[in-house]
Formats: sequence, C-alpha cells, structure tokens
Amino acid sequence: MTARRAWEPPFIQPHRHDVSPFGRRGVDDDIQGAIAGVDIETLIDRWGSPLFVASEGRLRENVRRIREAFASRYPDVVHGWSYKTNYLGAICRILHQEGSWAEVVSAFEYEKARALGVPGPRILFNGPHKPRAILERASAEGARLHVDHLDELATIESIARDRGTVIPVTLRLNFDTGHTEPWSRFGFNIESGQAYEAAVRVKASPHLVLTGLHSHIGTFILEPRAYGEQVRRMAGFMAELEGEGHDAITSLDIGGGLPSRNALQGIYLPPEQAVPSIDSYAVAVCGALERAFADRPRERWPTLIFESGRAVVDDAVSLVASVVGTKRLPDGRRAVVLDAGVNSMLTALWYDHPVRLTRPVPGAPEETVLYGPLCMNIDVMRRQVRLPPLAVGDRLVFNPAGAYNNTQWMQFIEYRPAVALVGEDGGHSLIRAAETLEDVCRPERMPAHLQTGDGTR
Amino acid sequence: MSTGTQRVLGELLAVGRLQAFAVSAKGFAFDPRTGQSFSINETGVRTLELLVETGDVARAVERLAADCEVPAEVVEGAVTAFVHQLGRYLA
Ligand SMILES: Cc1ncc(COP(=O)(O)O)c(C=O)c1O
Repeated sequence: MTARRAWEPPFIQPHRHDVSPFGRRGVDDDIQGAIAGVDIETLIDRWGSPLFVASEGRLRENVRRIREAFASRYPDVVHGWSYKTNYLGAICRILHQEGSWAEVVSAFEYEKARALGVPGPRILFNGPHKPRAILERASAEGARLHVDHLDELATIESIARDRGTVIPVTLRLNFDTGHTEPWSRFGFNIESGQAYEAAVRVKASPHLVLTGLHSHIGTFILEPRAYGEQVRRMAGFMAELEGEGHDAITSLDIGGGLPSRNALQGIYLPPEQAVPSIDSYAVAVCGALERAFADRPRERWPTLIFESGRAVVDDAVSLVASVVGTKRLPDGRRAVVLDAGVNSMLTALWYDHPVRLTRPVPGAPEETVLYGPLCMNIDVMRRQVRLPPLAVGDRLVFNPAGAYNNTQWMQFIEYRPAVALVGEDGGHSLIRAAETLEDVCRPERMPAHLQTGDGTR
Repeated sequence: MSTGTQRVLGELLAVGRLQAFAVSAKGFAFDPRTGQSFSINETGVRTLELLVETGDVARAVERLAADCEVPAEVVEGAVTAFVHQLGRYLA
C-alpha cells in the first residue's frame, strides 16, 4: 500500500455496459496544469475558485480557422458572432477585432453590441421579440433586420411608412432538410407557402425591400450534408423569387449550429470521432452554393453569412473547480462535491464535459460522480467519470466550457464566479469579477415599511 | 468473524472463481466467465490478494490492519462487506 492517502475500505464496482468503451470514461489525457501556458494555481490564487479561464490565443485561432474554411471556398463570406453563446464584452471585442459582425437576438444584445462599438450595418438582428422601439433604433442605424413573423414585418413597414423610407429586410426561413429536427417555430415555413406569402407581402410594400434570406437549422449538427441541403433549399427559394421579378437577394445567412469538440450525452463516441471537421461543413456549404449559382456571374453570387457560436468559443474557455468534499454513495459509487455546479456550467445538463486533473493524484481510478454545490438533485457535473481518489482542494478543469455558460449561468444559491482571460503574451486579466452580495442585491428595493428592524423583531 | 463471510469466500475459492479473476495493478479487473469488467480500488486489490493467499477472512483482516495501520475492527467490517460484494458479483 504505497502512496496511500487515507484508509479507504476495499471496494469493487462493476462497469456499466451503457458506457462507451472508448475514451469517454477516462480522465481525458489525464493532467492539465496550465491554461494557455499559465499555471492554474497562479490563476486560482489571484481570482479564487471556481474560475472560468478564457484563452485569447485559442479564440482568435478558432475564428480565423473557421472563417478561412469557408472563405477559402467561396468569394464573399461574413461571420456573425452569435452573442447569446458568450456575450462577455472582452470575448465579443476580440471577435470583432477579428472581423466578425454581431448576431443579436434581443434589445439587450443589440444595445450591448452597439455599446461595444459595432456599427449598425454590421449587426444581424435575429430573434422573435423585437419591440418597436428597438426596431426603430436598429433600422435608423442600418442594422440588418431578420424578420421572424408577419406582425414584426408589419411593425417594420409602419416605421418605414412613418419615416417615408424603404427598409431592407431579410426573411428568416424554416424547412425540413431531412437530416435534422426542423426548428419550425422560427421564421416562415417554405413547404407550407408561408415564406412565399411573406416575400409577396414585402414585394407589395413600397416601404420594404427583400435583400436577404436566413435560416438556422439547429444546433450541434453532426451531419455536414444537412447544410448542403439547407443551402440547396435556400438557393432554390431565392431562384423562385427572382424568377418572379422580386428584387435581387444579396445575402444568404445559414445561421449557426456547427458542433464544438464537446461530448453530447447519449452519443457514445468521443468527440474526436463523433464531430466532423469544420472543413467538411465548409465543403458541403460551398459545394452546394457553387452548384446552385453555377450559371450566374460571380458578381451576382450572394454574400454567405454564417453565425457560428459554440464552435468558435467552446474550447477557448475552461472552468476550473475545486473539490470541497468526498463521499461514498449507498450504492458504492465514489462521489465528489465541487464548488461549481450547473449554476455555473448549465451545459453539464446535456454534455459530458471532458475533465482533467491539474496534477497527478495517486490511487486506483474508479467511476466517480461529480456533484456541484447546490442543494438540488439535478446538480451533477459528470454522472460518471473514472478518477483516482480525490481530496479536498484538488482541482478539476472542464473544457470545452465556453459556449452558453457565461450567458445562461444562474445566480442561484451561489455567486457567479469570476472569468479571467489569458492573453496571447501570457499575461492574465480579469474580464468579469466574481459576484458579490452587493452585485446581487443592487436591483432590489426595500419598501419604506420594511426598512427598519434587523430581523430579530 | 461471521462464519457466513468465511463460507462465501470458501465457495468462491472452491470453484476457482477468485483465482481466475484477472486483476491489473491499476485496479482493472475482468471476470473471464461472464466477460464483466470491474474497477477495484487499491485496498480492494490488496484485499483480494490476501484473500486468495490466505484463504481465510480473519487472517486477511489481520494482515490488512497491520499494513494500513488501521484498527482491526474497522478493517473487519469493510472486508466483510467486500467479500459479500464479491460473492454477489461473481456468483
Ligand atoms: C439564429 C441563431 N444563430 C446562431 C446561433 C448559434 O448557434 P451555435 O452556437 O450552435 O453555432 C443560434 C443558436 O441557437 C441561433 O439561434
């Protein structure tokens, strides 16, 4: 019994057969002591645990590589950064510096993009809820309005009429690609004729002009051919409208949905095997565009816009969490309580995030459950992962953790943790401070009749 | 030591089940009869060795308690549970 940490009763655990025999069960590649070259303990000393850590180098590299996959195969390509995926100001600023436009879906996100200095014409405004006030502002600032329903179209038309102008619009489309579950609640459906009707409404209005088509076929799409089919359907609809004398469509926006190297629950292959390369998506999209537009001159090829979110940011951000307690469950499984749970990393509800230790830990690995700090049964970070016996203070690094966590995280029971950025020069800085009692309580107001008394009566 | 525990061990040894159990030093174990694989922790690997070697629960407990510097009563309870687990999984 060498390297024994503490007495542990002898224990045997059968392996469950619904667990992949491939990589998934191990502590993936075992040990990770640093993030983007910076020692993790140094970061935790500075900003505490749990801590999100973003790598600027990785983020820039990702967006360049993904854009290049498309831009090397099609003449005119724009990436719209999907704000909802991660709208921390520093993250958005880095991506805008790389040339990405902003893709926003609410008044809040629109205002945030403008506050970060993004000009209106470089904002793609999606989303089913755009109140009149924000539509007035966005149209005046030249933002691209992606229309979700007829009531919105009527509001935009009335704004244009009041101003005596013409407002260009993009119609959001939905249809069945045959490869993915159709997201039919957004935009106008092609098969039922709604999309065609909407286009006719636009054409009939002296205050509107249709310049673009948009669709978003879903998220974490593991089948590149779904995008080929999407492009084919969109180009077909475009040709139909043009054939009937509608104005020229100048942009096709294929939305987001490219998968990141994360492990979706229920998919037993590890991400390296389950997730196709970005190039295979670009080949499907650009090949379909080329086939669709083969007989029109290049200057009439529409701009290709894509709104990739998770593929750009997911693996550029890690979450470091610390062990605060260990236990043996009644069924014999080993369990660990961490200081970060689904309150900080909501995506643990649908991903088995790859997790690594920050240093070697002696002892035989065993199937272990990782719990968060909440007093809720669903607060599970990993339902099963093979780990050596951990002790209080040991750290775990979850990566990818950059998509939909710094936006969907909850201030529930615990404070939201800090987010640090490791720069390309290895310098590190805070991009969002850990929440304090003051932050959480700032919007609250105490009615006059409750203002006295300290709770002891 | 309960005679029940010694009986479970005796039965597993008599049919060669424990001896046939392939256990790596890392705690990966494989039952060639059923194809079922297991994880065994470090104490478990050592306990299994002692059970096969001595064929006797009480002696295994004694040796383990000495090795681990833990009171024999603590070790006895844990080894009893372990032997019953083995009995269940390998039966
Ligand atoms: C309209 C639109 N564009 C882009 C995205 C980004 O998706 P992803 O992160 O899967 O690339 C979404 C996500 O739901 C979306 O609804």
